[in-house]
Amino acid sequence: MELSASVQRGFQTLADPGSFDSNAFALLLRAAFQSLLDAQADEAVLDHPDLKHIDPVVLKHCHAAAATYILEAGKHGADKSTLSTYLEDCKFDPERIELFCTEYQNNKNSLEILLGSIGRSLPHITDVSWRLEYQIKTNQLNKMYRPAYLVTLNVENTDSQSYPEISFSCNMEQLQDLVGKLKDASKSLERATQL
Amino acid sequence: MLLDLSEEHKEHLAFLPQVDSAVVAEFGRIAVEFLRRGSNPKIYEGAARKLSVSSDTVQHGVEGLTYLLTESSKLMISELDFQDSVFVLGFSEELNKLLLQLYLDNRKEIRTILNELAPDLPSYHSLEWRLDVQLASRSLRQQIKPSVTFKLHLNHNGDQNTKVLQTDPATLLHLVQQLEQALEEMKTNHCRRVVRNIK
Repeated sequence: MELSASVQRGFQTLADPGSFDSNAFALLLRAAFQSLLDAQADEAVLDHPDLKHIDPVVLKHCHAAAATYILEAGKHGADKSTLSTYLEDCKFDPERIELFCTEYQNNKNSLEILLGSIGRSLPHITDVSWRLEYQIKTNQLNKMYRPAYLVTLNVENTDSQSYPEISFSCNMEQLQDLVGKLKDASKSLERATQL
Repeated sequence: MLLDLSEEHKEHLAFLPQVDSAVVAEFGRIAVEFLRRGSNPKIYEGAARKLSVSSDTVQHGVEGLTYLLTESSKLMISELDFQDSVFVLGFSEELNKLLLQLYLDNRKEIRTILNELAPDLPSYHSLEWRLDVQLASRSLRQQIKPSVTFKLHLNHNGDQNTKVLQTDPATLLHLVQQLEQALEEMKTNHCRRVVRNIK
């Protein structure tokens, strides 16, 4: 994990009981996780009375350092020993290391879900709806008398947050073909998970 | 149901008895070919020269025949109705038989062509799929994220359209279940009754 000097300095300040007493440390740590993982978190996350005595610039620096480190650790799936080693290097005492590791462990899953959801992907199918109709006539052709399906795929686009729909018509044979291919895909998926 | 032929139409068709049946059969072939691929005026000129008539006359004859065939195919009229409709034109027995044969031989194909004229939504052509597992991304390493990638081929107004889409295993199972239900619907009593009774 590559971490900048700024992050290291922030952590060294966090480690110092003179700058951050135990209570302040715990609060800042919680604030860092909250601002990353809580969708409704805003800037007021650092507005706790027990943090008021600390210089706001220092507070912001340490908060940013902690958040950056948490994201890097989450990105690489860091384990407890990696975390401990780095925190020891920053002169954290064993108590604070333990607290950090516990908080990290508690939030690890949410962190991974958050990081996993960032990124580009192909338009993603979320749902399908269908309509069965019986075609009787058009202005060009009478006495058609055949069933037809209209299928709509609901699609989500990760970047543009748009929800385009893909609609197409098909007759029974075509729908059977489509379902057959989808079933092949899902059987293949099942087999792959058993390997 | 009888065909309703306008005076103008009857006039155009009046050309047909004046040529022999081989020519009428040829006109029939040309008419269907024009339905398949669009008309080609040069053919009229060639035929006009051979028959010593104006190319307009030939054109009207072929167009009249085309309209006769498409209207009959559209309405799917029975043999008897076709014969009765053509009877009013006062053609020979032989010509009437020829026209009937022309109708019956080409009806199915003409209906297929007419079907393509209907308002059209993209229609399904085929589906390709691929199983993928995402192992890492810029924001998260060491992942195992299975997904299925599809290439959906659709036809719209003659053009092929391809959409590349993705889904997760759970949604795939959901899609299969939903669409299987859709197929099952046709076998229900309700649908069978509708199909039986609307004819």
